[in-house]
Amino acid sequence: MTRIGGAGGFWGDQVFAPIDLLVGADLDYLTMDYLAEVTMSILAKQMARDPQKGWATDLLDWLRAGGISLLHEKKTRLVTNAGGANPHACAEAVLALACEIGWVDCRIAMVSGDDVLPLIDDVLGGGKAVEHMDSGDSLFNVRSDIVSANAYLGAGAIAHALEKGADIVITGRVADASLIVGSMLHSEGWATRSLDKGKAVFSLVEEWAPDDLKNPLDVLAGWTLAGHLIECGAQVTGGNSSDWEVIPNLADVGYPIAEISRNGDSIITKLEGTGGSVSRRTVAEQMLYEIGDPTSYMTPDVIVDLSKTKLKKAGKNRIKVSGTKGRAAPPTLKVSSNYRDGWFTAGDLVIPGPDARGRAEKTDLILRERLSDLEGIEIFTEFFGAGASLPIGLQHLATDPSEIIIRWAAKSQMRSEIIEFSRSIAPLVLTGPAGVAGYSARGRPREQLRFFPFLLQRELVEPRIQITMMQTLRLRLKEMDSRIDGVLTRIQKMADGEPEGLWRRRVARRVLRRLERPQVKN
Amino acid sequence: MGVIRTQLSTIAHGRSGDKGDLVNIGLIAHRMEWFPFLEKCVTAEWLKEIFADMVTGEVEIHSVPGIGGLNCIMQGALQGGGTIALRKDAQGKMMGQVILQAEIELDEAEAKKLGVPIPS
Repeated sequence: MTRIGGAGGFWGDQVFAPIDLLVGADLDYLTMDYLAEVTMSILAKQMARDPQKGWATDLLDWLRAGGISLLHEKKTRLVTNAGGANPHACAEAVLALACEIGWVDCRIAMVSGDDVLPLIDDVLGGGKAVEHMDSGDSLFNVRSDIVSANAYLGAGAIAHALEKGADIVITGRVADASLIVGSMLHSEGWATRSLDKGKAVFSLVEEWAPDDLKNPLDVLAGWTLAGHLIECGAQVTGGNSSDWEVIPNLADVGYPIAEISRNGDSIITKLEGTGGSVSRRTVAEQMLYEIGDPTSYMTPDVIVDLSKTKLKKAGKNRIKVSGTKGRAAPPTLKVSSNYRDGWFTAGDLVIPGPDARGRAEKTDLILRERLSDLEGIEIFTEFFGAGASLPIGLQHLATDPSEIIIRWAAKSQMRSEIIEFSRSIAPLVLTGPAGVAGYSARGRPREQLRFFPFLLQRELVEPRIQITMMQTLRLRLKEMDSRIDGVLTRIQKMADGEPEGLWRRRVARRVLRRLERPQVKN
Repeated sequence: MGVIRTQLSTIAHGRSGDKGDLVNIGLIAHRMEWFPFLEKCVTAEWLKEIFADMVTGEVEIHSVPGIGGLNCIMQGALQGGGTIALRKDAQGKMMGQVILQAEIELDEAEAKKLGVPIPS
């Protein structure tokens, strides 16, 4: 059995969650997913401006606040896609931290090769049509506006990186669940076998299975589902649950741990002594979260059929997941690309009653009349408090509100139109109906990125693994104290404000508080 | 004996999320034996009608019998996709909770037999 923690659901999740898991549980692997569909484009743009950027810098916040020492002390391997568009810069920064604490033999693996932007012109130039996965539109028409194109790599490269002794694996765009599957391929010896048999890093991982295993695809499917369940962090342990009224202590919600078996079954649980809850209900909601056809959940490693999957209570906050089936992965990989598509901004105001709706409608009308000469702008208005969440078929449920938040969002191909829109909101406070309030700063025009997913033949994408070590520094750091006491002193210093900024100081203080929390014994 | 009217939340719970321009709503029956009610009430046509102003594409419903659940996939639900949607809820995260408020009709005798709480 392998214990894997899921310490974050997205870039911006609670920054001390991985510290909690490292302190409170004995994990074999800690996994962290930082990349949503649009994140790669934002990171690609950041890297274009500054070659040291383009990766999820939140990673450094918790690593610096004790995380790196905990990884070292507890010998937990970290597997994360925080590398984003620039795994190299990310790995360098992490290596510098390892160096600071005297972790002289730390091995950091970078997994890249997901960036297929350089391939696109070859593919299009070869006369091949590349179509949008859902709409069928041609990539050719938007080629000049594409900002990024990244293939979802599978678990193979992660497994090989771990097999080469990596303590920390930093990847670019990898399918979320593959962070977990890659760890399992390493833990269960499939990676060793693949090297023995001379299997390439990009070969289908089902071919790496031990010969006596009858159903390797079902095993991969079970591992993938376990990964899917924990890759959104606390969403499986009581966060975002329909049972929010009765879930205990969400303020201190525990992050998930998957105990994964070699046969593909798993137990989903959470850190002992924390808030939240793991029930059939929380797991079922997460199981269906952001999936398509449940008989064919596509990943680079396997096609998962979870239609017959069973969830069974196996103790307090423990759910056993079994019965998941798998089929061979498709010959293509999904590529997530984004292209520039005009400008966007949003703004809001609050409107009081009586007749809040009447005032809101009037305010909206005034704004639209003032902007009626802008030809390329699309303005979308929502009245929050007065039924904005309700679709047309449920509008009868809307009630008469005592106040309303009007929220406007606008897009245009012309940046100037968005600026004019943004400037027209504040004046409504003085020039509209009585009592209009709540104006904050002008919204800045933001470049819009439109998602364009497409499929690419698997053989065109070659994952690369690079291992970095700081052997040259070994001698200099030999005498440095790598024990936890020294680390605590350093966190304490940081909490006292030296030499870090306000945000890191706050993180360090929270970490200290958490380290002092009494341990709950099983 | 006739039909009773109640909210979808009486028989099921759920969660929604996005992928590109589609929103999926996962709905799970509170009890396995209520799954047939869920399958009967939640149809593609029913969802299409309720979300007529928000969803422009096809709606598909997939059964997940192992957990007594349905996965409802709604295409064209995010004004072109989460990254460019003008709606505040650009990821469709509210939709799963919103639909639980919709009214459904159950056969009264069946509902009583299977212990569905009947609104007074």
